[in-house]
Amino acid sequence: MFKSVLHMTKFPVLKGSVSADGRLTSLFTNLNVITSKNICTTITCCKEIRSQNEKVKVGRGSKYGLIEGETTVEALNINQQDLFPDADTPNRLFNGVPFKDLHIVNIKSSPNNTIFSFTDSKGLVIMTHTAGIEGFKNAKKGTNIAGQQAAITLASRILDYGVNMVRIRIQGIGAGRMSSIKGFQMAGLNVISITDATRVSWCPPRPRKQRRV
Amino acid sequence: MSLRRHAQFISRTIFVQNNDVDKACRILNRILSKEEIFGQYRRTRYYEKPTYARRRINFEKCKAIYNEDMNRKIEFLLRKNRVEPFPGAS
Repeated sequence: MFKSVLHMTKFPVLKGSVSADGRLTSLFTNLNVITSKNICTTITCCKEIRSQNEKVKVGRGSKYGLIEGETTVEALNINQQDLFPDADTPNRLFNGVPFKDLHIVNIKSSPNNTIFSFTDSKGLVIMTHTAGIEGFKNAKKGTNIAGQQAAITLASRILDYGVNMVRIRIQGIGAGRMSSIKGFQMAGLNVISITDATRVSWCPPRPRKQRRV
Repeated sequence: MSLRRHAQFISRTIFVQNNDVDKACRILNRILSKEEIFGQYRRTRYYEKPTYARRRINFEKCKAIYNEDMNRKIEFLLRKNRVEPFPGAS
């Protein structure tokens, strides 16, 4: 009780809203003021939360964990029209713009960060953004929340720039892979296509030695 | 920009339909993981010592043989000698 009173004095805005009508519902009006920067979280890798009577681990187990949709079995009609590109895809029109002239969003999602760059159809960079610039620091940069938040910010900037249709080119299998694409959609950007551009080689130069944890 | 070896936005590309980004992503991820592209990517982040590579390949061989046999067995047990009652439903 004492603690809660102390908290109330700390946050005069909340105090006013609670004491004014004595209901919790007014609290929610203030919730959009609170950004993720103000919420302190423990390192996500070792964090467990409780959701509906079971413990869920927030962070990933290994550095390159499974990503969504990798193992699920889902009925897929391959014969579906227009799902995959074909020979005349570059000239296919989307709202009057051919596919090859659409702007591109490059996403690089590594285990430690998510980096975005917005380019025109030729590949000239117009703007960049990262989860680190967004305000997430250290281990939080590599989380899916950071990726999504950064994507939403960049998407709103792209919309301000005057572009509402993009094709996405994604690289790497970090935590921000799925959530950043979701972020673009949430911000109202029209995602035409998703391309995977992860650099994979079957005869690579010798990689670095194993991590010993 | 040098000439790329693969056509951009043709390979490993999926179109989003009905603004359903999630589904498109899932389909793409599943195809890529089935084609062992993610598996190879994960494996080549760190050097795999030849011992471990041999062990992994032997394990994969055994697993493939087991799966093949088991699938044949299941097929044998589930065999039926009658006309398909609901054609196209299974």
